[in-house]
Amino acid sequence: MSDGDFLGVTDVSKWYGDDQVLHDVSFEMDRGDVTVLIGPSGSGKSTMLRCVNRLAEAQEGSIRLDGEEVLSPDIDVDDLRREVGMVFQGFNLFAHLTARGNVALGPRRVLGLSESESRERAAAQLDRVGLADQMDSYPAELSGGQQQRVGIARALAMEPKLMLFDEPTSALDPELIGEVLEVMHGLVDEGMTMLVVTHEMSFAREVADEIVFLDEGHVVERGPPEQLFERPEKERTGRFLERIESHD
Amino acid sequence: MSAAGTLALAAVESLGAAALNWPFVGEAADWEFVFRNADYLGVGALLTIGLTFASILLGFLVGFPAGAVEVYGDGYLERAVNAAGIVLRGTPIVVILIVMYFVVGVPQINLGVASISSAVTAGILGLGLRSAAYQSQIFRAALSSVDAGQLEAGRSIGLSRFEAVRYVVVPQALRRSIPGFQNEFTIVLKDTSIVFAIGLAELLTRGYDLFSEQTTAVLEVILFISAIYFVLTFTTNRALDYLGTRYAIPEGESA
Repeated sequence: MSDGDFLGVTDVSKWYGDDQVLHDVSFEMDRGDVTVLIGPSGSGKSTMLRCVNRLAEAQEGSIRLDGEEVLSPDIDVDDLRREVGMVFQGFNLFAHLTARGNVALGPRRVLGLSESESRERAAAQLDRVGLADQMDSYPAELSGGQQQRVGIARALAMEPKLMLFDEPTSALDPELIGEVLEVMHGLVDEGMTMLVVTHEMSFAREVADEIVFLDEGHVVERGPPEQLFERPEKERTGRFLERIESHD
Repeated sequence: MSAAGTLALAAVESLGAAALNWPFVGEAADWEFVFRNADYLGVGALLTIGLTFASILLGFLVGFPAGAVEVYGDGYLERAVNAAGIVLRGTPIVVILIVMYFVVGVPQINLGVASISSAVTAGILGLGLRSAAYQSQIFRAALSSVDAGQLEAGRSIGLSRFEAVRYVVVPQALRRSIPGFQNEFTIVLKDTSIVFAIGLAELLTRGYDLFSEQTTAVLEVILFISAIYFVLTFTTNRALDYLGTRYAIPEGESA
């Protein structure tokens, strides 16, 4: 079990108006851990993920990342985000830039690398996700799986210490999911610290150090995959997994 | 017969002549009259062109940031910009020009080599600010049309809000504003004629002066002027079309 040296999420609560979407959510990660958030849609797992890089604002609780309080009003959110990569369900690639331009923008404008350095770094990252031959393609010219791999390369180009994946394969045709999961497997092997929201249970089972099951904004249960998948303690977890697995 | 009646009659006769002889060509003498005064019309055309480009440029420089403030701003600035836009769009252009010239009383501007009369300055300011009010809406719509995920993705790699708008949203919004901008350009070009209200004689006013002098040449003068307006509108629109194609974002076959 992690001791939360790297990421410590403690009693995080969030409301949209009067509607409480997160209720005292807590979990921990060590450097190199892979944690997977699962749960039915509307359970708050994406919201929880987005609170970690402050794309969503939690009103209560604490998120400590590498010794720093993420929820502190004094923190520079741009500094936080340059160290925390994010991959979106809908890819959100910059539509007016080529694959290479997408990946180079952060290094160029955020890290302040020169034009040629940032282009080189972009090329290296695209190669890493298997897209060396698509560098000059625009997002609309790429398949969904290719777009998502560019999205991953874009996040990796910032050399983040934590990667957030928000349902990275949910918008993909089934035959394109594999190539994205393959890239994610590669990152796991390299020791990347990853917090992943996904419905890909076999991926979760294979790579997760811990699974956190959320329902209606509550952490229902968490634990290593073998425990959570084989011997869930809560009835609700079991019911959710049955429903999901029957679809696999 | 009243002056207006004479004019109307002249127009009818001119049209009649055109119909009888050759389509759209009146008496040779009337065409000769037009060409003899081509310089006079040419000066008007130059004023029209100058007013149009200066007003469009001012409108862009003020209107683009104004549109951005309306989308991304808040508080007093956003409300002030919004209110100014409503006032400018809600006021007849003649009134704006008269206010600029007679009430605000803008000065003559000396540029060393040339000086711009206070009437021209007032014309540029009036047409330019009104165009800014319209252009702000073109850009507001274009900025708003860019998917929110684009800004969010920009922020996610550590760009500040300003940088994400600057590097991610604006390049896409500018491309999307070209059709609206073409419209605005054409409208301003033709609206420059309203500067007659502050005593400036641009292309249309000079044309009016001419056919008032030789009343048989109404159609010839109007045709000649229309041709100039057409060439101006056509070339600038094609130039903007080219810009749109040149910077178009490639679309995939399946997309």
